[in-house]
Amino acid sequence: MARFPSIDDCAVLHLSRLQLDDLNLEHLTDSKRQQIHQLHLTNNRLSFLPPSVCFLFNLEYLDISNNTLTALPDDIMRLTNLKTFVAKNNFLDESSFPKEFERMPVENLNLSGNRFEDIPMQFLKMTTLQSLSLGGNRLKNIPAEIENLTSLEMLYLGGNLISSIPPEVANLTSLRYLVLCDNRIQSIPPQLNKLHSLLSLSLHNNLLTFLPREILSLVHLQELSLRGNPLVVRFIKDMTYDPPSLMELAGRTVKSHNLSFSLSDLPSNLVHYLNLASECPNPKCAGVYFDSCVRHIKFVDFCGKYRLPLMHYLCSPQCSSPCSSNPQSDAESEDENSVPPDRLQRVLLG
Amino acid sequence: MEQTEVMKPESLDDLIKILHKIFESDSVNVEEVQNIMESYESKPQEWMKFAKFDQYRYTRNLVDEGNGKFNLMILCWGEGHGSSIHDHTDSHCFLKLLQGQLKETLFDWPDRKLSGGMVQKSQQVLLENQCAYINDSIGLHRVENVSHTETAVSLHLYSPPFQTCQTFDQRTGHHNTVKMTFWSKFGERTPFETTVSQENN
Repeated sequence: MARFPSIDDCAVLHLSRLQLDDLNLEHLTDSKRQQIHQLHLTNNRLSFLPPSVCFLFNLEYLDISNNTLTALPDDIMRLTNLKTFVAKNNFLDESSFPKEFERMPVENLNLSGNRFEDIPMQFLKMTTLQSLSLGGNRLKNIPAEIENLTSLEMLYLGGNLISSIPPEVANLTSLRYLVLCDNRIQSIPPQLNKLHSLLSLSLHNNLLTFLPREILSLVHLQELSLRGNPLVVRFIKDMTYDPPSLMELAGRTVKSHNLSFSLSDLPSNLVHYLNLASECPNPKCAGVYFDSCVRHIKFVDFCGKYRLPLMHYLCSPQCSSPCSSNPQSDAESEDENSVPPDRLQRVLLG
Repeated sequence: MEQTEVMKPESLDDLIKILHKIFESDSVNVEEVQNIMESYESKPQEWMKFAKFDQYRYTRNLVDEGNGKFNLMILCWGEGHGSSIHDHTDSHCFLKLLQGQLKETLFDWPDRKLSGGMVQKSQQVLLENQCAYINDSIGLHRVENVSHTETAVSLHLYSPPFQTCQTFDQRTGHHNTVKMTFWSKFGERTPFETTVSQENN
């Protein structure tokens, strides 16, 4: 156990790399205690948060990274002014935090390099959170409740075991920086185009073969990392597509002729089916499709990146692909425009 | 083999003075420069004022212009930040780790019959104070901070200095020329950086 040296800058207390296994601040006067706003306790030998720390009532910033913490005491709730809490490289998991932790007004939470397999429910209720980092943990998925973190501007989930992104992530409309690199993600939900504030998206080292074409509408995006993904380079030219069912053909006819229908005309299941019609993205085609569609990979230059494979659906191979938002890249694309439509292929995705 | 005595730099300023002296002559002894850079023991208080981070991508911060013979700069890498595969426009490139670690992946120049993408030649993790070297005849490289918990800071020397280089798409081998800009110069933030990244990463 060590005592701290005399404080010169009263607000910031540096107690890192001191081989501390405990800390006693009891001899501090109340006024000295009140002055401390920042505490650095990184790179010590702490297996628990010293109780003394919880009596620094005005503490706003606490960094206890690189220790051996397995849990946090209920007394941490006494730190009612804590805005930034950093505890990277410890042994914390989803059961380490007090049940009431969601009441803490924390804005920045960095718990990278721990043992989280799930994002704890308490975190998903912390609407004050602006930045959440759980990089380098063991997260298997992102819960839909992530959408509750409406103040979130930065979400770092790189280096986990995540295989899919729930569309609810798209409801984090304040999000500027989304990091999903080094995971096992196979596809990006098209709803991500709702992230209007997104400036940087990190997707490198995943299992992506294409991106949804909706990504083109992220007009503020400055940075997009895609290295280490098995992105399709050429789309293959000899695929057939499954012919549509009779129900699909009938449905298409009803929709394309704008025939009106209601529950008095049709059984409710068919009314429901007709309402599910998706419009063919080709602006020259007024067609709709239900289940039967041809996926077409269009290579688009985006954000300064060379030729992203973007996927969109066409109602049939006869329907030629709609233009990308960048006519220049159309001119550059390899032989795509000269391929006869009847030989357009649907790309098989793993 | 007789070696010229190498003075161990006592500080960053000392290192810069020694580099100025070495680069007075027109020929560069790569081993000598690499040894001198490696023997400087990184002290954060000496370079902290140059180490300005950006949340979204790595930054280049100019430290010294080497009397026109070289550029010395500090690069700051946030968690997960990486560069494109790039060349060095016929210049020498020395890369020393000041803090954290960086992964360097080497590639050969893509040939015209490229199919299946550019394949990595080798990979190494550079540790604190280590100094790597590359030039165009050795090949191309990508440099990345693969850590999700630690930032990295590196010291780069390029001789002669250059303002543009080529970046390569790993999938296709296609390249385009990018302009290199500085996030800061001599410790002062210089907002000339284009907001859109030109890197292919």
